[in-house]
Amino acid sequence: MTQDIPLTWFLYFAAAAFAIGLFGVMIRRNAVAVLMAIEIMLNAANMNLLAFWRYNPAPAGEGPITGVIFALFVITVAAAEVAVGIGLVLLCYRRLQAADVDRYDRLSG
Amino acid sequence: MIARILFLIISSLGLLAALGTVLARNLVHAALFLVAFFFCMACQFVLLEVEFLAAIQVLVYIGAVVILILFGVMLTRNIQGDETTSGGWTPRLPGLLAALAVLALLFAGIRHERGLGARPAWTAAAARPDAPGQDLLLNMTPVIGRELMSRYLIAFELTGLLLTIAVVGAIALAYRDLPTEAPPPSAADHDQTEDAPEPAVTGTPR
Repeated sequence: MTQDIPLTWFLYFAAAAFAIGLFGVMIRRNAVAVLMAIEIMLNAANMNLLAFWRYNPAPAGEGPITGVIFALFVITVAAAEVAVGIGLVLLCYRRLQAADVDRYDRLSG
Repeated sequence: MIARILFLIISSLGLLAALGTVLARNLVHAALFLVAFFFCMACQFVLLEVEFLAAIQVLVYIGAVVILILFGVMLTRNIQGDETTSGGWTPRLPGLLAALAVLALLFAGIRHERGLGARPAWTAAAARPDAPGQDLLLNMTPVIGRELMSRYLIAFELTGLLLTIAVVGAIALAYRDLPTEAPPPSAADHDQTEDAPEPAVTGTPR
């Protein structure tokens, strides 16, 4: 390639996506919408992992695809987390008749 | 040159999709914007030459996570309306300021990064190395399979355990005891705690 994409561009994109996800987590009142914003943040972190993996030479003692494996496990754990999160939201909806995070305050003093 | 233009197009589409997800009033629209965001992420993974992860991203995130989220949206229809009562942009201002502060912090950190010891700064990484060798990038899938089964075996097995726990946990949380749905919440509390130790796969209602 004549002019490659600099590493910092990937990092800027991931940082912007992370900030947008953070904004969504703080703004949204529906629990499922909060889960969606959390997924955006996780994807931004994955982007960072893969960008750093690709743009750096492999470390001495580690394998050749450390970043890829890390990102793969992040995807897996995020999928498991969404499953349990949706189960929790359904349970709370059944108890409190709303999916509104402002109503989930039974544990607060 | 073309790579840069492609990156800029895909990035702007991805960030617009993410903004659509967090700002859409209709939750189904938000989920569809999320699909667009995940697809833009998959395109970025192709730009980073990890096509295997791009395929996994589409399969797992778009094909499973968004479907689960849509289930959650459909099953938790609000009885009294949710986002329409949120009051415009005034209560959102602190969140916006915090997100902008985090964005500014991250941008400043990326821009002024200086490198650590013998390592050069990130801004100097203008082009990617052919580092792992072209045959690694062309044969990513067998290498991932071998590495998962040798070097990362413990993490692989623990992830399998985690997925099993997540499945069992999700079933245990959302399990519904149908004939006893009618009584007041205190009785329902009782039933839930009785259900927990029982295997949820019997499937016979009480």
